[in-house]
Amino acid sequence: MKKLGKIIIFIGIFLVIFIIVSKVLRIQRNPITEFYKEPKNSLDVIYIGGSNAYAHFNTTLAYNEHGFTTGMLSADAVPLAATKYLIKESLKYQKPKVYVIDIARITEYFSMIEEGQIRKVTDALKKSQNRTDCINELLSYTSVPKSEYINYYFSFFTYHDFWKDKNALRANLLNRMELYKGYLFNIDVAQKRKQTPNVWTDEEKVLHGDTINTLNDLFKYIKDNNLNVIFVVPKRVFGEVELPLINYGVKYIKENGFEVINFNTLDDFQVDFDTDLYNFAHLNTYGATKYTLYFSRYLKENYDLEDHRGDSKYKSWDMAYEKFKHDYRETTGDNFEELVREYKEMGY
Amino acid sequence: MANICFSDIIFYGEGSMSLVTLVFLLFCVIVLGIYFIVPKKFQWIVLLISSLFFLFYKNFTILTIIEALIVIFTSYIIGILIEKNKDNHKKNFYLIIGIVIILGLLLYLKYSNLFITTINHLFNTNYELVKRNSLVGISYYSLIMISYLIDIQRGSIKAQRNIFKCALFMSYFPILTSGPFIRYENIKDDLYGSHKFNYERARRGLLRVLIGVFKVLVISERLGNFVNTVYGNLNGFSGIYIFIAALLFTIQLYTNFSGSIDIIMGISEIMGINLPENFDNPFCARTITEFWRRWHITLGAWLKDYIFYPLLKSNFMQKLNRVCKDKFGKKVGKKVPLYLSMLIMWTMIGIWHGGAYTYIIGSGLLQFLFMFLEDNLEPVAILITSKLKINRESFGYKLYQRIRTYLLFSFSMIFFRAERVSEALKIIKGIFVNHKTKTPFFNIHVYSGKIELLVFIFAIISLIVIEVLNRKGDIRDKILKRNIVIRWLVYYILIFAIMIIGCYGPGYDPATFIYRGF
Repeated sequence: MKKLGKIIIFIGIFLVIFIIVSKVLRIQRNPITEFYKEPKNSLDVIYIGGSNAYAHFNTTLAYNEHGFTTGMLSADAVPLAATKYLIKESLKYQKPKVYVIDIARITEYFSMIEEGQIRKVTDALKKSQNRTDCINELLSYTSVPKSEYINYYFSFFTYHDFWKDKNALRANLLNRMELYKGYLFNIDVAQKRKQTPNVWTDEEKVLHGDTINTLNDLFKYIKDNNLNVIFVVPKRVFGEVELPLINYGVKYIKENGFEVINFNTLDDFQVDFDTDLYNFAHLNTYGATKYTLYFSRYLKENYDLEDHRGDSKYKSWDMAYEKFKHDYRETTGDNFEELVREYKEMGY
Repeated sequence: MANICFSDIIFYGEGSMSLVTLVFLLFCVIVLGIYFIVPKKFQWIVLLISSLFFLFYKNFTILTIIEALIVIFTSYIIGILIEKNKDNHKKNFYLIIGIVIILGLLLYLKYSNLFITTINHLFNTNYELVKRNSLVGISYYSLIMISYLIDIQRGSIKAQRNIFKCALFMSYFPILTSGPFIRYENIKDDLYGSHKFNYERARRGLLRVLIGVFKVLVISERLGNFVNTVYGNLNGFSGIYIFIAALLFTIQLYTNFSGSIDIIMGISEIMGINLPENFDNPFCARTITEFWRRWHITLGAWLKDYIFYPLLKSNFMQKLNRVCKDKFGKKVGKKVPLYLSMLIMWTMIGIWHGGAYTYIIGSGLLQFLFMFLEDNLEPVAILITSKLKINRESFGYKLYQRIRTYLLFSFSMIFFRAERVSEALKIIKGIFVNHKTKTPFFNIHVYSGKIELLVFIFAIISLIVIEVLNRKGDIRDKILKRNIVIRWLVYYILIFAIMIIGCYGPGYDPATFIYRGF
């Protein structure tokens, strides 16, 4: 018995050290890891997508304006095929009134999906059958042999030599990725870089077969689970070859009975391509503020979203907004509330 | 240039099951679990089934089944026939048949390309090389079964009457990838006997496995990164790097081989099966002759017992001895058959290591040459040291001898590692030329930064610590007699060093994950 006790203690200590080491030697936190921190059934909106989701929609501002809470199930360049699994994951913890699905990557060839894209979403998901299914489906589009899937199931096999990259390690130890309830803000995204907008026409091009199949599967899942979903094409610059595909995608989604907004062709909403983007694919803080003011109002008006402001259970949202405002001032030297006021006066 | 990564299939175990894979770990856990759960009289059956699984893992074809059946039935039937016959001529006849079948199969499956290459070289032909699929461990089990038949013929063992037990002796899974060579007489009781689970034995066995995995993944593979990078771009590195790579390859080879043996011995120890030691601090050897008494000990012993001594005692050598004695005197007469036997034995060792001239030169002929020179230059060395009043037992002189042995062995391993003899010559040439290239040692692209360089240094230091501690007895005794805090600290350091700084898995590529950005 004494020996058995020793073995159990030994394994226990091993597991504790292993968990700590795994957390240090893994990819930086991202909005998905933040999503898990929210209390059960506390989110009104779930926003799914790639970096356009967490860089464009300021969840703390939306809360401050309308009182609804938004969870970001978002990571860099999340493949469209991961969407269904992210919805499934969210339903384990939340009962949102509406899902917003960013479809910027609808144009992507699934065979071009990279390891980093898969890892950034699946590494952040908690271990479950859903995560395994997600990994299996995403890898099925790639040339990764099945014998190597295990490296995705157990990411430690890949990240064990994360220590070689001292910058990433330091960032990880400091828990750096400046997220405010899933929204990203830092000095980089506050930059203003002039971009040339696309010239949108009505030209269409049929989406790739894998994309159509994935969308059909997603539509079925949404309908089976009776979910409210709104698809969005983010305001940004796309490659010229992507535009006809997006046009077709928007039409295809509408034909299947879902609401979809292409913010690039929407007359009501404009941004300044000279000042509101920080690179061709992303709105900067200023563009994001305009987008959030516009889109959060739209969500509030069109979906029955509760106002939690003043509710002590949602204090963390107030604190997150305060922290964001503080950091915004520290970073830019400006007052965020004045910026909001200015944009509102401009009609956003 | 072959980009050697000894545990190149470290995680996936393509082909055979590599010893440092998760698959093998899982396999061992299951085998050990079942081994101690089943009634003791069935333990050998568990070993047989698991060994056959290991043998045919990812290699279950008609041809490999036939190969295994040929060796098992030949050993079993011929063994009994040799034992049953009283007539020595008949015994020898059956023995020769057995050896021809087993050796013929080995030559056909493993050495066809050596034969084709030789024909092409000699007759300027252009026959294509062939790719033959053979079972894992063919080089080991072929010699093991040959020694089994010879021992029966010599009357030192009884033939195994149970064909399944004979099959287990041939296929005992831990030894199939790296040895050591086992003898029927020494292992039969352990292999077929019953074993209770013993906590102390399991603890010692596990610690040995841990040390073995540490040697392979933390030391060997990390040194391998350096060696592969330098050897993979000979023109890009100056002579000093190529020289260092040549020195490090010897350590890479040693840590990989001895680490694998540690894993094998550890697993067997847990089951209560004692295997013969295969290494004894080879880098402490003062001569190449001594080196080979400490390196791959069981191979050396096998070749001595079954090749060298029988050859030396053969009628031909005795006759040669007499002829040489008459013509050149007693001393030379004694040496000629000795050297001839040695030459044959070392050529065979070279051939056994692999069907290529690089092996024959590197692990065969050069070793013979070094021993020949050592033997003949020893009187000169004694004369010089006595004239210079150098104490041959002093620390300094012993160190010089050890370094000399290490350098000579490392030199021979240049051939062992190279894919072709011409490549080995290019490496040797590279050591002596191109010294003007300025490549800062601490900044070569082998290492992604200072942290990795520190890990590299840690790997070298840990090897020295292991070797020094092992020299003064079993390192495990020194660990296990410490208090629980020290003991567990050592276990955790070993485990987490393997997990974190071990070279395995696909590896983290910062360019892919972090800086790709969004």
